[in-house]
Amino acid sequence: MFLRRVSLLTALLVWASPLVAQRSITTSDVFSRYADRVVKIQVVETSSAAKATIGSGFFVTPTGEVVTNYHVISALIHDPGRYRAELVDVTGAVRPITVLGVDVVHDVAIVMTEMRPRAHFTLGRASVAQGNRLYSLGHPEDLGLSIVEGTYNGHLPHTRHARIHFTGSINPGMSGGPTITEDGRVIGINVATAGNQLSFLVPVERASALLDRVLARGGEPPARTLEDIGRQLRDHQEAYLSGMFAGETKMVELGPYRVITEPAPFFRCWADALRAHELPYESVQHRCSTDDQLFIAGDQSAGVVKLEHEMLSTRTMNASQFFSLYTYVFAGDNTPGGQQEHVTSWRCGTRNVRNASVPMRAVLCLRRYRKLGELYDGVLKVALLGRGDTGLVSTLTLSGVTFENVDRLARRYLEKISWR
Amino acid sequence: MALILEVLHPTGARTWHRLGEQPLLVGRSLTNDLVLDDPFVDARHARITCDEAGTPLIEDLGSVNGLVGKDGRFRGRMFLGAGAEIRVGRTILRFRDTDEPVPPALVDDFPVPAVPSETRAASIKRLRRLARVRRWSTTTGGRLTIAAAAMAAVAVYTWLGSMDRASASEALYKAVVFALTVAVWSGIWAVASRVSIHRFQFIGHVATASAVALGGLLWMVVAEWLSFFFPDASLPELLSFAVGLCLLVALVAGHLALASAMPRRRRWRAGGIVAGTALVIAALATVAEEETFSDVPTFSGVVKPISPNWVPTETVDEFGAVMAHLKDQVDEMAKQ
Repeated sequence: MFLRRVSLLTALLVWASPLVAQRSITTSDVFSRYADRVVKIQVVETSSAAKATIGSGFFVTPTGEVVTNYHVISALIHDPGRYRAELVDVTGAVRPITVLGVDVVHDVAIVMTEMRPRAHFTLGRASVAQGNRLYSLGHPEDLGLSIVEGTYNGHLPHTRHARIHFTGSINPGMSGGPTITEDGRVIGINVATAGNQLSFLVPVERASALLDRVLARGGEPPARTLEDIGRQLRDHQEAYLSGMFAGETKMVELGPYRVITEPAPFFRCWADALRAHELPYESVQHRCSTDDQLFIAGDQSAGVVKLEHEMLSTRTMNASQFFSLYTYVFAGDNTPGGQQEHVTSWRCGTRNVRNASVPMRAVLCLRRYRKLGELYDGVLKVALLGRGDTGLVSTLTLSGVTFENVDRLARRYLEKISWR
Repeated sequence: MALILEVLHPTGARTWHRLGEQPLLVGRSLTNDLVLDDPFVDARHARITCDEAGTPLIEDLGSVNGLVGKDGRFRGRMFLGAGAEIRVGRTILRFRDTDEPVPPALVDDFPVPAVPSETRAASIKRLRRLARVRRWSTTTGGRLTIAAAAMAAVAVYTWLGSMDRASASEALYKAVVFALTVAVWSGIWAVASRVSIHRFQFIGHVATASAVALGGLLWMVVAEWLSFFFPDASLPELLSFAVGLCLLVALVAGHLALASAMPRRRRWRAGGIVAGTALVIAALATVAEEETFSDVPTFSGVVKPISPNWVPTETVDEFGAVMAHLKDQVDEMAKQ
C-alpha cells in the first residue's frame, strides 16, 4: 500500500514536472536569453551628428544581417547625403550599417553590419494560437532595451497585407524589434501601434522571404534602392488596382444618387450624418478606405485608395444659399500633405462633365513623386449638378499610383455615378 | 489789340472771357465778375483793368497768396500783353490775342450713320438723362443713395451666400462692417482733403468708395458665373484682373478729384501709377507663388444653381485629355 502510494506520487511528479518547468520561465528569463540578439538602429543627421530617428532590429544570421522596419531607415534611403545609419548592440558598441534589401509593401528591411553577433534568431514559419503569450523587444523612446509581454490575437481581417494583431504596448522606438515566443521563435516584427495595447506586427514570413532574396543575391546591396522601391510600389498596385471599379461594382444610394462603395473586401466603409437644429442643411457622409497605407517617407504614403461621399440637402435654404454651401464643401481641401523633397506641387484641371446620365463639376488634381519614378498622387472631386436642394460631393483619393491607374480609375469612377 | 482771358481751373476745365474797358474783379466770392472755385484764392483777390493809356494790367487786392507771374510772386500790379500768364491760387490766367491764328479744323472722317431724326432726338434725350444722373450723383442725396446701394448690395450678397440659419443677421452684420470700413477709409481721405483743399468732402469720399465697392461686388458675381460656365478658360481670370485694376484707378482718381485741385488727366495718371504698382506687386507675388512649393491644390470649385442643360459639358473621354495635360505639367515640374 505504501509502495503504491509512493509510486503514484512519483508518477504524478514525473507527469507534472514539465508543467512546473514551463511555468518557471519568466519574462526575465526571456529577456536575459534573447536580449543580446536585439539592437538599436539610429539614423543620424550628419551635419548636426544628432539622432533623427531611432528604431530596433535583430540579428538573423551569424554573419551580421539584421532585420528591421523599412520606415526606421527610410530617411537614409531617401537622403543618403544627409543621413547615416548605425547600429548599437547590447554592449553599447556602435557600428555603421548598410541597407541590403527593402520590402516597402510590408515595411521590412534587411541591413548588415561587419560585426559578428554572439547569437541570432532563426527566421522560419511560426504558428501560435490566439491568446498565446508573446514577448516584444525593442528600444521604446530610446529608453534602453525593454521587453513587453502581450498576447497573440491572430491576423487583422481587413487588410490586403497580413498584419498580426498583438495585444501589448509597443511604443515608438520598438519598430523593427522582434516579437517572440518564450522559446525564442520570432512571430513578427514590431511595426505599428494604435494605442491602448493595440499593436501590430509584420508576420515573420515577410522578413524571411526578404532575407532569402537578399542572401540569394549574395548579400550585396541593391544598385538603386529608390528605383527598387518604386518598382515594388508599381508591382504592388497593379495586383489590385487594375480591376478596381471595373464590371459589377457595389453601389450605395445616397439621396437621388448612386455612387461606388466598398470596391473590394479589404475596404472598410463608415457612414455618419450631420443633422443639427442650428444648421439649415443636412449632411450624410459615406467613406471607404483601406488600412493598407504604405509608408514611404515623412508624411508620404502610397497605395492609398479612399472614397468619400458627402450628400448635402436642405429644406430651408434658397438655391443660391444652398449652392454657396455646396461650393464651400466642394472647394474644401482634403488632399494628402507632402514635402517638397518628395513630391511636386499639385496641378488641377476643372471641367463640367456629363457621363451617360449625370452632369457634374469635376476636378482632378495631380502631383508626381520626385524620387520614385512614375508614381503620382491623384485626387478626383466631383459635385453632381441638376438639383437645387440636394447635392453630392464625391472624392476619390489615390496615392502612390501610376498615371495609368489614375486615368483608368478616375474614368471608371466618373462613369459609375448615376441617378438612383 | 483786344485780349481774351483764358482761365485754366484746377479741375482741368477751361473758360474764356473777353476783356473790355470795364474792370474785372477776380476772387472766390460770388460778388466778383470772375468767380474762381479755388481754395487758395481770396474772396476778393485781384482786379484786371486798364491804365489811362488803355494798357491792360492786373493788380493784387491784398490777397493772402498774391499773384505769380513769370518772375515769381508779386503783390503789386503788372501790365498785361498777349501771352502773359498769371497764377492766382492754383488757377492760371492766360491772356491771348483775339487775332491769334488757330490751325485749320481737322477733317472729321468718323463714319456717321444716317440717323433718323427721331432716333437722334432719342439719343439726345438719353445723353441729357445721363448728364442729369451724373449731376445727381454729385449731390448729397445722390451720394448717400450710392452709399446705401452699396451697403444693400453687400447685405444681399451675404444673405444669398449665407450658410447659417441666422442669414438675415449675418447679412446685416456684414453690411455694418462694410459701412464702418468705408467710413474709416473715407475719413482718411476726408482728412487729406481738409489738409489739401480745406474741405472734408466726407460724403463725396464715401460715395466714391461705395461706388467702387459696388462695381467690384457686381464683377465678383459675374466672374463667379463665368468661372462656372468656363472653368478652364483663362479669360475670366484675366478680365477679373483687368476689372480690378480699372476699379483701383477709378478709386484713386475719384478720391483725388475730391481731395486735390489736380487736373483730370493728372488724377487718372495718379490712379494709373497706383494700379501699375499693384500690377507689378501682383505679378511678382504670382511668380513667387508659382515657384513656391505647396501641398494645397488650387482649383475652381464654384457650382451654381442653374439647369444643367444650360451648362456646357464635356464627355468623360474629353476629361481624360485634361488628365493627360496635367501629367505633362507635373512631369515637367518633377524634372526641374
